[in-house]
Order: sequence, then C-alpha cells, then structure tokens
Amino acid sequence: MIKNPSHPKKNQRKVKQCKFTRAGLEYIDYKDVDTLQRFTNDQGKILPRRVTGTSAKHQRQLTSAIKRARFLALMPYVAENLR
Amino acid sequence: MSKNYYEFTYIINPVLEEDMFKETVDKVTKLIEDNDGEIDEVNEWGLRQFAYDIDKKGSGYYVNMYFRAPAEAIASVERQLRIDDNVLRFLTLKYDAKMLRHRELQRKNEVPDVFAIEDEDEENEEDDD
Repeated sequence: MIKNPSHPKKNQRKVKQCKFTRAGLEYIDYKDVDTLQRFTNDQGKILPRRVTGTSAKHQRQLTSAIKRARFLALMPYVAENLR
Repeated sequence: MSKNYYEFTYIINPVLEEDMFKETVDKVTKLIEDNDGEIDEVNEWGLRQFAYDIDKKGSGYYVNMYFRAPAEAIASVERQLRIDDNVLRFLTLKYDAKMLRHRELQRKNEVPDVFAIEDEDEENEEDDD
C-alpha cells in the first residue's frame, strides 16, 4: 500500500485480507450466527470494511446475512447490556 | 412449470403444548405439498432464546426447511402463514446458483471454516499497532 521505500511504517503495515475470500466461501449463511457475531461489535453493530478487511463483495453478502439473522431474532438489532 | 429451490425458516409460538409444535410443522409441510412443492429436508431446531422479544415472548420454536416449489406457491403459503397465529415469523429465501453450490458443500459437510487459518497469525496482529 505504501509505495515510498523509506517510509518508517513500511514493514509494520499489515495488509488485511478478506477472511471469506481466503476460506473460498461463496455464500454467507445467516444461520451461521457464531461467524456473523465476529463481524459485529458488542453493541450488535456491523463492523465496517476498514476494520475487518472484508472484500466489498463479501461485505455486501455479510450485511444481508446479518440482517436476515436479526429478523429471525438470532442476532440482536441493539444489544441491551450497555446501560 | 419450472420449480425453484427455497429455504424456509419459521418460528412457532412457544406457549403452545408440545404436540402442537408437531401439528404446526405437519400443517406447514402439507401446505407446501398442496401447492405442488416437494419437501427436501426439514430440520427442527427446537426452542431457542430470541436475541430480542417478539410479541412479548423471549423464545420460540424454530423450524428450518428446504423445498422445491413453483414460484406461485410461495405467495399462497405466505398468505396462509400470515393468518396463522401460531407462526410468529417466517423467512423465505430463493436459492440462486451460488447458494445451491454452498448447499451442496453443506450436504457433504465441506463448508470451509472462515476462521480456520486466522488463529495462527492472531498473535502478530496485536504487536503491529
């Protein structure tokens, strides 16, 4: 990502990789709640791509999978433990 | 008439008697078959806690099923279930080619684990920032 060879962070910078691409997954299942939960924060919000490194294609699928899981009450819309 | 492959999940009211669950499942199955559907698989997940309350209930009886049916059948099945007070919620998904391939893998128990590789490089990750 950093082109400048003398950039101080050159060797520290880690290139994020999409976990779904790496696993070769074609479809993200809304029933797989444990996986989906790893892509939300403790409030139940969906984490942005810049945090998780998910590819655009899989982020779109992930979003709809999480929303389906929420509809069936498998996942919370808002976590209420924070109050 | 061409048929599509569907996945269907619904939640039954938990306040019912034990045998009413079975009755409702049979009713839904019959409803689909009456509309020219062919049942592929029915999985009863059983009682599960909700992540949030639905109709003031904290849990529900989940049933997940797969079937093949003509597109017109879905509308009439959904209309019937909307009237049914025992079914709290349902979700129908039409399977496309990608999802069908995923389903094949599922059947062979070969769905790749997303976090299989991650655990190894997790240690380095924390030092980076």
